[in-house]
Amino acid sequence: MTKALNRMLGTLWPRFHRSHDEHMNPYYTFQDYRQIWGMGIFILITTTLLPLIIMTLIYYQLVEKSIDTESLLRTERLASNTRRAVSYFLEERLAALTFTVNEMGYDKLNDSEALAEVLRNLKLGFGGLTDLSVIADTGTQVAYAGPFNLEGKDYSNQNWFIECQRNDAYVSEIFSGYRDVPHIVIAVKALRPDGRSFILRATLETERLIQTLSSFKPGEHADIFLINRDGVLQTPSRHYEGTSHRLSIPVPPRAERTRSLMMADTAGKPIVVGYAYIETQIAPTPFILMVVKQKAGMMKVWLDLRHQVNWIFIGSAVLIAVVITLTSTAMVNMIFDADREKAKTMLMAEQNSQLASIGQLAAGVAHEINNPLALINETAGYIKDLFMIKEQYKEDPELVEHIDSIIEAVDRCGTITRQLLGFARHFDVETQPIDLKHMVADVLNFHKKEAEYRNITLHVDIPETIPLIETDRGKLQQIILNLVNNAFQAIDNGCFLDIRADMAAPDQVRIAIHDSGCGISEEHLKKVFEPFFTTKKEGQGTGLGLSITYGLVQKLHGDITVQSKTGEGTTFVVTLPVRIKKESQI
Amino acid sequence: MKQIDILIVDDEQRYADMLARRLALRGLRCKVRYNGQTAIETVSQEPFAVVLLDLRLPDLYGTDVLKQIKKHRPETVVIILTGHGTEKDRGRCMALGADAFINKPLDINRLESIISRIKERAE
Repeated sequence: MTKALNRMLGTLWPRFHRSHDEHMNPYYTFQDYRQIWGMGIFILITTTLLPLIIMTLIYYQLVEKSIDTESLLRTERLASNTRRAVSYFLEERLAALTFTVNEMGYDKLNDSEALAEVLRNLKLGFGGLTDLSVIADTGTQVAYAGPFNLEGKDYSNQNWFIECQRNDAYVSEIFSGYRDVPHIVIAVKALRPDGRSFILRATLETERLIQTLSSFKPGEHADIFLINRDGVLQTPSRHYEGTSHRLSIPVPPRAERTRSLMMADTAGKPIVVGYAYIETQIAPTPFILMVVKQKAGMMKVWLDLRHQVNWIFIGSAVLIAVVITLTSTAMVNMIFDADREKAKTMLMAEQNSQLASIGQLAAGVAHEINNPLALINETAGYIKDLFMIKEQYKEDPELVEHIDSIIEAVDRCGTITRQLLGFARHFDVETQPIDLKHMVADVLNFHKKEAEYRNITLHVDIPETIPLIETDRGKLQQIILNLVNNAFQAIDNGCFLDIRADMAAPDQVRIAIHDSGCGISEEHLKKVFEPFFTTKKEGQGTGLGLSITYGLVQKLHGDITVQSKTGEGTTFVVTLPVRIKKESQI
Repeated sequence: MKQIDILIVDDEQRYADMLARRLALRGLRCKVRYNGQTAIETVSQEPFAVVLLDLRLPDLYGTDVLKQIKKHRPETVVIILTGHGTEKDRGRCMALGADAFINKPLDINRLESIISRIKERAE
């Protein structure tokens, strides 16, 4: 499970994050792979997702705009229809009163019996009428039909009477009178035969009006009601009643026609308001019809759709991001791998050419130094000889000691020059079939005594399947001897030395010489094959052993690598071709 | 005891002289030649028990001198004494009949012991 997760992360996470070959850095073509990777992903994701985001936003805006227009239009249409119904309701009743006054005339209506008859007939025709009364132009009620006897009441100072006198007809606001039942008063003025005027007044129940209104109500989120011009509610509103029966939202401005507009309710939620100032052909009314819809309710379908669109958008964005990251990682990995191979090759070429040029230089120096060295050797030897002969100096140990130290120094220099020449020289390679197992056994024979004495465990594992190697006996022997010598110097008493061989490829033998010695530090590890590099005390090692080994392995067309950990030991791995190709001999 | 005559052939005059003196101090009779031609002439004129021969000479290859000496006087012991002898050189010289192959700078005691072994054989 974790393995699979790691592998998946591995494909997303580029390889250069895990690579820490500091010493190879100068050989890379590109230094900042992190930046290349990041920039690649950023540019690709931006160019693919940005148009998608912009398109989506534009689409959202267009849809919202068209939904706004649509909802304004629909609200307006609803308001218009409702207005027509309300106007018709009032007009019908005003027309009935007008017809009555003209048909019956003042004298007939003045008779309470007749008026009661009219009330009955009107109730039959329209219903919802409470009473009828006739008021003279002096404001005195002269006839009344209905449940209350208000005959003789003077209306001359009342607002509705004055207005009716002026406009010939009147429609009141909805109010609760003595009986605490909401009702509307409508009235029409007519002329008597003597030229004076009188008024026929009717009280209407509001129940039918409210029924009419609610029959237009389209759903939960809509509210249809009447207000007066001061914003006082005339019929109940479900959502928009404020304090003392007033509208909680502003009263819309006066308009001749039905209008609609957007505003916010008290909670700040957007609402669509359709409204109309209701006028009848006979009389003006104090009513404003209000149709209020919550925008959220109307948007619900669209919001649901947008939710889905958003999820699709997020899904595709994630998919695009993952695909882009995968592709970028794969591409950058490929470039990185190629670059690393190149860097490795360059590093190796550099090391090889360094070693080669150091070798040439060393050989030249060794050559030139060898002759004077030989001369110093003989001259010092001669001086020593002379002193040994003369009796007076023979017994002087100091003189002899000094000369001996000169000779010893020359001897050391001689060793160095010989090894230097060996390192640089290109011998002919003479091949013969060699049994690796025998050769290793021969080499270890030299060390058997030492191993016993120092209690060092020798372990050799060379399988019978390793074929005979066609190579140069002397050089291979030298290589193994050098590496074994090296290991013996590195390990403490009681440690072990392990030599094993296997096939690295069908045509390549791999010999690994592992010791459990002190190990080589990382900084030293890079230099072990360089001539004169030694960690031994001055005078104890020439620093040429491994560089000579390196040169010999090269001559045998092989390869030598070293792995080491301080305190844990060192492994030298020599890979040699089973058969050296003749044409590539040097 | 038979006297041992040694011929030193080396183009480095001071080196050859110094070696001759050291061997003389050890009771050996030495002659010195600085090039290949005179060395061959000298050997053809008089016998030497041992020839110390450098491989790099101004006029001839050391190996050619070796061949000539072995041709004229096959009984002569030839010790190659060279500054930069390779394994290949050693192999070739030994194949041509050289009796020993020593790299410079030499250890006089080693040379002495080789010569004394030859002396024993001669006796």
